[in-house]
Amino acid sequence: MTERANHTDRPDSADPVDSADSAETGSVVTLEGVSQRYITDSGDVVHALAETDLEIPEGQFVCVVGPSGCGKTTLLKIIAGFLDPTGGAARYRGATISGPGAERGVVFQQPNLYPWFTVRDNVALGMRMRKVAKKERTQKAQEYLELVGLADFGDAKPYELSGGMQQRAQIARVLANETDVILMDEPFGALDAITRARLQADVLALQRKQHRTVFFITHDVDEAVFLGDRVLVMSARPGRVVLDQDVTLSAQAGRSLGEEMRRLPEFIELRERIAGAIEH
Amino acid sequence: MERTRLMSDAASATPTAPAPSGTDPDGDSAHSRRVAKAARRGRSRRLRRNRLLQAGVLVVILALWWLITAIKLVDPLYLPSPQAVLGAFIDANRCLVVDESSGRSVCGVQNYYLWEHLLASLQRIGVGVSLAAIAGVGLGALMSMWEPANTALAPYLNFLRALPPLGYIGLIIVWVGIGDLSKFLLLFLAAFPPIVIATIDGVRGVREDYVSAARSMGAGSPQIARFVVLPAATASILSGVRLAIGFAWTTVVAAELNNGIPGIGGLAYISGTQLKTPLTIACIIVIGLVAVALDGCIRWVGNRLVPWHGKV
Repeated sequence: MTERANHTDRPDSADPVDSADSAETGSVVTLEGVSQRYITDSGDVVHALAETDLEIPEGQFVCVVGPSGCGKTTLLKIIAGFLDPTGGAARYRGATISGPGAERGVVFQQPNLYPWFTVRDNVALGMRMRKVAKKERTQKAQEYLELVGLADFGDAKPYELSGGMQQRAQIARVLANETDVILMDEPFGALDAITRARLQADVLALQRKQHRTVFFITHDVDEAVFLGDRVLVMSARPGRVVLDQDVTLSAQAGRSLGEEMRRLPEFIELRERIAGAIEH
Repeated sequence: MERTRLMSDAASATPTAPAPSGTDPDGDSAHSRRVAKAARRGRSRRLRRNRLLQAGVLVVILALWWLITAIKLVDPLYLPSPQAVLGAFIDANRCLVVDESSGRSVCGVQNYYLWEHLLASLQRIGVGVSLAAIAGVGLGALMSMWEPANTALAPYLNFLRALPPLGYIGLIIVWVGIGDLSKFLLLFLAAFPPIVIATIDGVRGVREDYVSAARSMGAGSPQIARFVVLPAATASILSGVRLAIGFAWTTVVAAELNNGIPGIGGLAYISGTQLKTPLTIACIIVIGLVAVALDGCIRWVGNRLVPWHGKV
């Protein structure tokens, strides 16, 4: 785990719920021996996730990479509160996670903006539900649309946007909601390679500006190393973390680089190491 | 399926649309807008062709009808000529002098113009379906969100749905009399089940990630119902209402068998029993045309309320 000074001074951090313990360590999300089993229709017990310990400190961009069926989405659903773990405890800022909440926003793989709202109203919806005044939320939604490069598309309907633009809008919707932890479930998985590279670069730039705590699932090793401060490699049956790798290059020279980062020998070496861990 | 094929056709027709705007981060929205426009053009061309085909069928039917009656293939009592039907239609909408000496005249048939008969039936359908829509959406929402209600009521709903209205009209008359109330009740009962079922389908069919996304934005149950479930279920509810109006039309004749004047269904029935077949056929044609027009209205409203239908 890395401690970085610039990540502890997030200006818009949410109020800590309780537990002095987690406040000291700076962990936003803590998993203690979290595991997940379920019973299939044919009566078999599937061990989707083995006992997993994980601490995600404030402002860290954690990428989780692994083959399909390795339990990475299970892990995300537990943190999001969509799924109760069958073992262990999942905590957000010291409080046990008992369901979904606005402080843990989710960006889904499939675009799922509401087609009955305009793009801007989608981005403002979280604020609307918190009864923020209309003028204020419209203005703030516009700010976040600008941030993700959709300034001119606020009045469009979601289905009028391309897949990549819909994912941008989904990200804006989560950012605008004052989300503390952003959970992303293969958000670029359904996009073409060019759009995907463009969104990765934009998310990296965004993260350098905003220093959000991000939990990002992908099956793409290159994407994980490019975006993450830290990469977790998971293996299947039962799903468990087999490698917990800090991406140190991004803290040094790589931090100022964009696309060129991919050509650094360190980057290539890390990518190989992580790809190797997946194969085992 | 048809739509995607059209889209891809149009896409290959305009293969290199350069995206001129620098504001579009992914570069392909201008292109996709042009593709959509080209697809719309193709669609309207196809629509015109279809209309032409349908008009052709109508012409053939009218010609055959005219031919059969013109060569007196069938007794006009069984199949009156198109001219006779048109005449009956016109006579049913005007006053005729029946006694030259006294100047006594009769207006319409059964003391009402045809359009008054039609209006009476439309009012009954309006009342029956409106009440069914209010009650049906409410019950459907309850049954889809609260499982015990569904378990308790679903079999009875299916029982009601399977009953032909003609089967129980007698019972309803015994219960509430032959006035308008029996007709409202019959139309209500006919329209109610499809609306309940469509509402249940609509609410259950809401994409799980729509609900998950709202919950992780901090939405509570009332907010999910208002911002997510209701709009997402609208398309299904509207198609239930469409279906219900169709059932109501088929039921209106049954509802108007007894004391159904004024009423277009009652008129069709009575004119048949009085062997005024031209008028019966005129009534049937009016019922059919108005039903088609009404269905078109509902579809138009649906496209207005649910413009995203078929696009997501």
